Amino acid sequence: MNEIIYIFKSGRLARKDNTIYFENDGERKFIPVENTKEIHIFGEITLNKDVLEFLSQKEIILHFYNYYEYYVGSFYPREHYNSGYITVSQARHYLDTNLRVSLAKKFVFGSISNMEKVVRYYNNRGVNLENILANLRNLKDNLDSIVDIPTLLALEGKSREIYYDSFNEILKDSQFFMDKRTRRPPKDSINALISFGNSLMYTTILSQIYKTHLDPRIGYLHESNFRSFSLNLDVSEIFKPIIVDRVIFSLVNRGVIGVDFFDKRLNGIYLSENGAKEFVKAFDERLNSTISHKTLGRNVSYRTLIRLELYKIEKHIIGENVYEPFISEW
Amino acid sequence: MVDNIKVSGTLIESYLICKRQAWFHLHKIIPFQDHPFLEIGRLIDETTYERDLKRINLESVQIDFIKTKEGEIVVGEIKKSSKSKDIAKMQLLYYLKVLKDLGVPSKGILSFPTERRREFVELTTEDEEKLKRIVKEIENLSNESFPPPLEKIPFCKNCAYKEFCFS
Ligand code: SF4
Repeated sequence: MNEIIYIFKSGRLARKDNTIYFENDGERKFIPVENTKEIHIFGEITLNKDVLEFLSQKEIILHFYNYYEYYVGSFYPREHYNSGYITVSQARHYLDTNLRVSLAKKFVFGSISNMEKVVRYYNNRGVNLENILANLRNLKDNLDSIVDIPTLLALEGKSREIYYDSFNEILKDSQFFMDKRTRRPPKDSINALISFGNSLMYTTILSQIYKTHLDPRIGYLHESNFRSFSLNLDVSEIFKPIIVDRVIFSLVNRGVIGVDFFDKRLNGIYLSENGAKEFVKAFDERLNSTISHKTLGRNVSYRTLIRLELYKIEKHIIGENVYEPFISEW
Repeated sequence: MVDNIKVSGTLIESYLICKRQAWFHLHKIIPFQDHPFLEIGRLIDETTYERDLKRINLESVQIDFIKTKEGEIVVGEIKKSSKSKDIAKMQLLYYLKVLKDLGVPSKGILSFPTERRREFVELTTEDEEKLKRIVKEIENLSNESFPPPLEKIPFCKNCAYKEFCFS
């Protein structure tokens, strides 16, 4: 159905009539444009306007990452699901502080709740994490009294800090010990994994936003500066623990990714090409795995679940239903 | 909220099926297009009756085909199945009314190619009154700030808005 293409090699993306192909060392690989909705590019790629025009027509998004696997930006074809009504409602919820804070809180609530789920899972399997659980619960209880975004962001940061303390207990391989969270650049393997996984999460959610009427530039928790995307960052908070972090735990604890899957570049540590490939594979599998959805009455993949989550946000901003974030069952 | 509404045939159909669905249409909340039923609908549109298919656009109304038989104008409406025949009939009657208002009296054929069935339809004064009422109601609906609340109906099962409604 919907193919997602990841390009790790360097080469040229070109158009031939009504097809797009990727060329590298004289070898051509055609991209099934009818089934593809997103292409993630990690290699060094050249392309021209003709390609972009065609991709735009086919409503395919390109996500670019640089040599250090950082997210660089996306080619987001003009939106095809446009509803002025929803855009105006979305902006109204941004401009009104009360509306904005109450929606932003939901993202933090969902985020902490899903962190708790992850931590509790390991706590129930003999890793003693009671302390962390108590601290997270405490922060969640403090959410109610918050009335402004900076305080909310501070609390969100605090919850992550506490949560990351559990990683050293959960990860069996001591080579993935985390001293502290480091971002640009990540200073050790575990930080490299988190940064890479989070980047994939942001672009995956952005691709789903494209299928809705929401404008990705208007976020609530993360500052909207209208030049870049922020709604995907908000929604990522909910899914990071149950998607990115679970993928990390599984890759490390099953020994799929070891320290030899990392390179040292520019005073930072990054996943090697093979490491990135393994990660993307596990990440995709996780997104395609399904869970049963009660109100819809069928199984849905996590990828679809993300889109449904966005619909819930749409319904919140048009004033139909109060948004309650997805919280994992286990 | 919605300015200058032009009532289309599909809007009449939506309104009669589910007012909530019509409200979404009016607010340009279009369902996600990967939905399999939309695909089927499009395919039927594209492949059936290709020979006599002439699509004409009258401002907001798109008419599936028009045939002239002995000087008569016949408007056709093609449907997947006769399950919701009354609704399809209303949609077709609406086309007949639009044409009549333009000074083009015509008759209609309702066809269900997958069932190999056709039915002739004529516009009565009663129908015209009913249509006028429906158009007025749609105009009122377009001014509503919120969609009518979700109520599960048999149509939900195959509705393209299902994921939105039940998310
Ligand atoms: S899913 Fe049901 S309630 Fe929602 S628009 Fe469709 S028919 Fe109406």
